[in-house]
Amino acid sequence: MSNNRVSRRQFLGYTLTGVGGFMAAGMLMPMVRFAVDPVLQQKEGGDFVLTDQRVDEVTEEPVRVDFTFEQTDAWYVSEVTSSAWVYKEGDKLIALSPVCKHLGCTVNWAGDPEQPNRFFCPCHAGRYEKNGQNVPGTPPLGPLDEYDVQEQDGYVAIGVVKANTLVV
Amino acid sequence: MHFIGKDIDQYLSQREYVDTAVVPLLELNLNPSDLKSSAGASEYLQSLTALLEKQFKGRILLFPPLSYTSGADRERVAEEISAEMKKAEFKHVFYLTTDAAWRSVEKLENVLWLPAIPTMDMDRNFKQSVMEDQLRQVLPLFLKEWS
Ligand code: FES
Repeated sequence: MSNNRVSRRQFLGYTLTGVGGFMAAGMLMPMVRFAVDPVLQQKEGGDFVLTDQRVDEVTEEPVRVDFTFEQTDAWYVSEVTSSAWVYKEGDKLIALSPVCKHLGCTVNWAGDPEQPNRFFCPCHAGRYEKNGQNVPGTPPLGPLDEYDVQEQDGYVAIGVVKANTLVV
Repeated sequence: MHFIGKDIDQYLSQREYVDTAVVPLLELNLNPSDLKSSAGASEYLQSLTALLEKQFKGRILLFPPLSYTSGADRERVAEEISAEMKKAEFKHVFYLTTDAAWRSVEKLENVLWLPAIPTMDMDRNFKQSVMEDQLRQVLPLFLKEWS
């Protein structure tokens, strides 16, 4: 018998080690996740990101407010700059996501000079009302998302993104 | 959109909307004295195209930089890449580069040449505002091509 051949016993031995290895990994994985996750998720929870936009300078006209946060993409952490369109409705702060609900381009307030009271998407001429409502007949099929927003020491702070609550 | 599996699925189902390809052309120059500026140009080009992708995500497909050595025959690179791009039938193809050698290559249309700004030593906020300024120069060229 050639000693390169795997004997039945060896074969079983290999297979069992394999299975055992899998099982061990299965038991270890949850523990590792448990140990590592809270650190990774620190920034992703319901935290608000402080911007340098003063609340008392916000008017009824939407302004672009940038904010930077850390994003964890698998094990790669990067700094991401996003923006929001922020305006006041009476005393209430409102922050809308600039991401077009058609295919994700960035929309601009008054981006089309001919319709200065709407958001405009330059990619396929999508339009939205000031509250984020998509204008029928343009490509987007839903309203712009909204951010949780609050005042912190006189400055605008941006929270998590959520479905639009202003459109009825 | 980026040239990654997830975005390509979306691209394939929305081809009539994603009608524009963006290809960064990147020169690699590893001479000890040119290495740093080559890396700086790479950083500049990739930050700029990433911002561009963010702005026009739903209409452009951003390819990874086409990298070639400093001695590469640009005419040949031009022929090969434009032949490859034709297969995908984009309505518009833009090439972005900081490599001045492309200014004399006539085989490629829509080459946007921008002198690289060394941003590597700037702090984050300053870099961001410089890059947005750069982006503002490029956006109208796209809008003009599309209109
Ligand atoms: S991505 Fe905004 S209209 Fe198509």
